[in-house]
Amino acid sequence: MAEAVMGRKVIRGQKPPSRWAQFKATMGAWGFMGPATVLVLVFFFLPVVILFVISLTDLSSSNFSDPLTFVGLNNYVRLFRDRFFPKILGNTFFYVAVTLSCFNVGMALLLALLTTHINRRAGFFFRLIWLLPRITPSVIYILMWRRISHQPPFGLINQLLAPFGVEPQYWLFEQPWLFVILVNGFVGASFGLILFSSAIEAIPRDLITAAKVDGASTWQSIRDIVLPMIRWPLLFVTTYQTLSLLTSFEYILLLTEGGPGLYTTEVWALTAYKRALKTYFGHNQWGYGAAWGFVLVIIGIAMSIIYLRVFRFNELVQEPKIDVL
Amino acid sequence: MKRWTPIMALFVVVALILTACPSPTPEVKVVKETVIVEKEVVKEVQVGQPIHIVARCKAAPPHEEGRCNNLVSAVGAANAALAEKGDDRRIELEIIQDNADWGDYKTEFELASDAGQAPDIVCSGHEHIGDWGPAGYLVDVTAMLGDYTEFDDVIDALWASTEWNGKRWGVPQDAEARPMFYNKTLLAELGWSDADIESLPDRIMSGEFTWEDMFDTAEEAVKAGVVKEGNGWWHRPKNGGDFLYYYYTAGGEIVGDGDALIFDKAAALKVYEKLYAAVDRGILSDTRLDGDWTGWHTGITDGDVLFAFGGSWNWAEWFSNYVADRGGQDYLWEHFGFAAIPGMANGTGKPTTLTHPLIYMISSASEHPDLALLLISKASVKELNTDYAIASGHLGILKSQAEYGPYMSAKFLTQVLPLLDVTTFLPNSPHWSAWSNGYYEGIQAAESGFSAEDALDLAVDYLQNELGENVVIR
Repeated sequence: MAEAVMGRKVIRGQKPPSRWAQFKATMGAWGFMGPATVLVLVFFFLPVVILFVISLTDLSSSNFSDPLTFVGLNNYVRLFRDRFFPKILGNTFFYVAVTLSCFNVGMALLLALLTTHINRRAGFFFRLIWLLPRITPSVIYILMWRRISHQPPFGLINQLLAPFGVEPQYWLFEQPWLFVILVNGFVGASFGLILFSSAIEAIPRDLITAAKVDGASTWQSIRDIVLPMIRWPLLFVTTYQTLSLLTSFEYILLLTEGGPGLYTTEVWALTAYKRALKTYFGHNQWGYGAAWGFVLVIIGIAMSIIYLRVFRFNELVQEPKIDVL
Repeated sequence: MKRWTPIMALFVVVALILTACPSPTPEVKVVKETVIVEKEVVKEVQVGQPIHIVARCKAAPPHEEGRCNNLVSAVGAANAALAEKGDDRRIELEIIQDNADWGDYKTEFELASDAGQAPDIVCSGHEHIGDWGPAGYLVDVTAMLGDYTEFDDVIDALWASTEWNGKRWGVPQDAEARPMFYNKTLLAELGWSDADIESLPDRIMSGEFTWEDMFDTAEEAVKAGVVKEGNGWWHRPKNGGDFLYYYYTAGGEIVGDGDALIFDKAAALKVYEKLYAAVDRGILSDTRLDGDWTGWHTGITDGDVLFAFGGSWNWAEWFSNYVADRGGQDYLWEHFGFAAIPGMANGTGKPTTLTHPLIYMISSASEHPDLALLLISKASVKELNTDYAIASGHLGILKSQAEYGPYMSAKFLTQVLPLLDVTTFLPNSPHWSAWSNGYYEGIQAAESGFSAEDALDLAVDYLQNELGENVVIR
């Protein structure tokens, strides 16, 4: 019988490893962990610290060359006093929830199930097609959507619907959210599609075959075998795509700039970007923009913790109940 | 441990190889992925010590490229002047010219300045002096201007746009006017006689035809089916300096005695009421602020719009890029006219326009500000500036151009010139950008269906939140 203790195995009846061997094992573990730890610290942790420090200053384009002036939590007070703060927050949750559920997870899962239940070559082909939006340069992709939904007399939709007597409209501005979600969703779905497809393909065929022999329908095999077996990729895609959507704004910036009108499709990350880096006359408020960015980091961390609890992450990564020597 | 040794060794070797790789020296400077950047280095036969000068310009191709190209053309004259003085230095000029957004362009110069890599010369909007002067990014050229006789020819009124804190921080590069364009063909369809159409600029200048009259005419055109709903009057499709003259003609002031900017609620309310009414009456579309410049130019030049507030440079843009295949300038003269912006009868009642001179400024990081200014002086001559003005639809900056044949024979420039009698400027203030954003938020609100009072509340909220004691709300 064996037991795992802090990465070393102690087998009853054998001499415990020497201190030197333990030291070597520990150093070895750190050796492997080291590069990743340094990367995480430098590229993930440190930027958050810098972001927080900047958010406590009034750094802007008019005092860029002066020493930093700390203003305490003033930027956060301004942020929460902004009249459109609730609208922007609501927009953000709406955008993330709908895009995630309808496309990044929902559509991705549906497509993965469909493409793994048809001819293998055809399934591969359809997955390839769904990758096209992701590999198209953002500006080209958005230009295409703008031309599709453009105002009369232009716009592909208007041209296509004209023969049916549909009144030409500026579709993008009539249904801005629809287009924002479609544009992001078509790109986002491919990520989950690839991961879910490979996870489904990895499920031993025996299980599906046995279920079919026992009389299970396709839906029952999906519900009782496939979905439980791909819980891990589901957790990963849901968490990763939530965070990704929370911080993504480039397609919205290119498509609607947060409009039409006042903050109609403006999401949190776009506001942070506009405050910090994008005003017509170039008045960049890096301190204030950093405050918007830091609140987004907090929201992201909170969402991650919620997901880990909902999906019972600890159970997914618990040590195997059977240990093979 | 032995198993890891080769892995670690491989890691170290790869790291060393990567470190040893020389970083490529870019031949072309790429500012950002979607921006076209030109680089041109003018090298003459070197008889003295070559001095590398870098100039940065924002210019819409091809008609505005004279902004930096004129500096290129001036290199020979500048070097000749150096030779004449017995100075053995010789200018070698590199230009970086593209059509980046104003905000990006400004940020780029600020970041470059802080990194000590700013170009020697930057050609930018005069209002940026309000930010860059206090930040120490610019050379105060007040005392140096007297060394170059070419600057005596600059129109006196334009120097005001280069000033901040009582000093001059650059040299005017161009000037312009922002007129109201009107479609003659559509006015004729509406029943206007030729005499009515031709006299419109004069009637606006005399105050007889007001902003309110313009809206009434636009509404009449929509109702008569001469133009579609929303096409009676168009303003620019995104934020910009234009909206400030709405406020001016409504009676607003922006510059007071101190550093703080003024926000006159009564004037702003009049502007918001006008814009709300424009949408409500079907003159203006509630999606007009869609940011689509191409659609804006196309709509106007295709004859879909009755009145449009634009800029004199639009004329050059249109005949170069939009109606070149329909006869160019001849087509424009036949179908379009232009005039000052009509005064608001419930405001000042006076016609107006706005001039936004671009200024050649010298970076405080420049090691050779005297050479940079010498080059600017040789580019600020009537021959070069007139070529640029005619090509770009901008106004000249020199007194001598009023008697210079090629300039005076440019029909468009001479007809736009009288608008300068009623011109206004943006303020050179570090708070202008935030002020503009707050005011613009009210404009967006009014055109999105918020009442004028709500739009005003939003703007005031924004300004108080963003500017605090740097704005006086009154």
